[in-house]
Amino acid sequence: MTLAQRGRWITIGALMLLAGIYVRALRFTPVELTQGPAQKIFYLHVPAAWSAMLSMGLVGLASILFLIMKDARLDRFAAASAEVGTVFCCVMLTTGPLWARPIWGTWWTWDARLTLTLMLFFLFIGYQVLRGAVTDPRLRANYAAVVGICGLILLPFIHLSVYLFRTLHPMPIVLKPSAPSLPPEMLVTLLLSFGVFTLLYVGFVMQRYALGEGESDA
Amino acid sequence: MPEAVAGNGGYMIAAYIVTAVILIGYSVLLARRARKSTSRQEKHV
Repeated sequence: MTLAQRGRWITIGALMLLAGIYVRALRFTPVELTQGPAQKIFYLHVPAAWSAMLSMGLVGLASILFLIMKDARLDRFAAASAEVGTVFCCVMLTTGPLWARPIWGTWWTWDARLTLTLMLFFLFIGYQVLRGAVTDPRLRANYAAVVGICGLILLPFIHLSVYLFRTLHPMPIVLKPSAPSLPPEMLVTLLLSFGVFTLLYVGFVMQRYALGEGESDA
Repeated sequence: MPEAVAGNGGYMIAAYIVTAVILIGYSVLLARRARKSTSRQEKHV
C-alpha cells in the first residue's frame, strides 16, 4: 500500500470518527447552562486550533532541520503540513466567530489572541504564496523555511497572549499548569475530539506529502 | 425555578456544518489531486 493510500484510509477512518464525535457532542454531552448550545462549538474550535498550531509547529521544526540537513523530504513535509494547517486554521477562524456572536455579541474583536491567530492564518497563506511565486526549488525551500520558522516563533505568543494581555478570549482550560477545569463528560468529548483532529492531520499530511513526492518526480 | 438555557443552537449547527464542509471538501480535493497526478504520471510514462 502506498503512502497516499494509507493516508486516504486514515482520513476516511478519522472522518468516520469525527461523525462519532458529532453524535457524542450534540447528543450525549450536556449543554453548558450559561452559554447554552453554542458552547458545543468549543469541541470543534479548540481541536482545530490545536491542529493548526501543531501544523505550524511541525512546519517550523521541519524548516529548521531542512536548513541544517538540506534534505528535500523535510521541505516537502513542511509544505504538506502548511497546507493542512491552513485548512484547520479556516475551521478555527470560522467556528470562533460563530461562537463569539452569541456569547460576546460580536463576530470579531481585535484582541491579542484573535489578532495573533489571524496573523498565523496570514503566515500560512504567505508561506504558500511564496512557494508558488519562487520557481527555483532550492531558493523556494530556503525562503519557505524562514517563513516557517517565523510561524514557529509566533506560536508561544498565541498560547500565552491570554496571560500577557487583557483579552476577551477565554483562558486555557486543558493546556495549563493546573488540572483541566471541565466536567468529566465534557473533558472526554474534548479529548476524543483532539485525538480525531490529530488523526485527520496525519491522514491529510500523508496524502499531501505523497502528492508532493509525485509532483517532484514528474 | 431552573434557569432557561440560551437559545443559540443555530450558531452551533452552523459551526458543525461549516467544519464538516471544510474537512470533507479538503479530503475530496486531495483525492481528486491524487487522481490527476497519477494520470499525469501515467501519460508521462
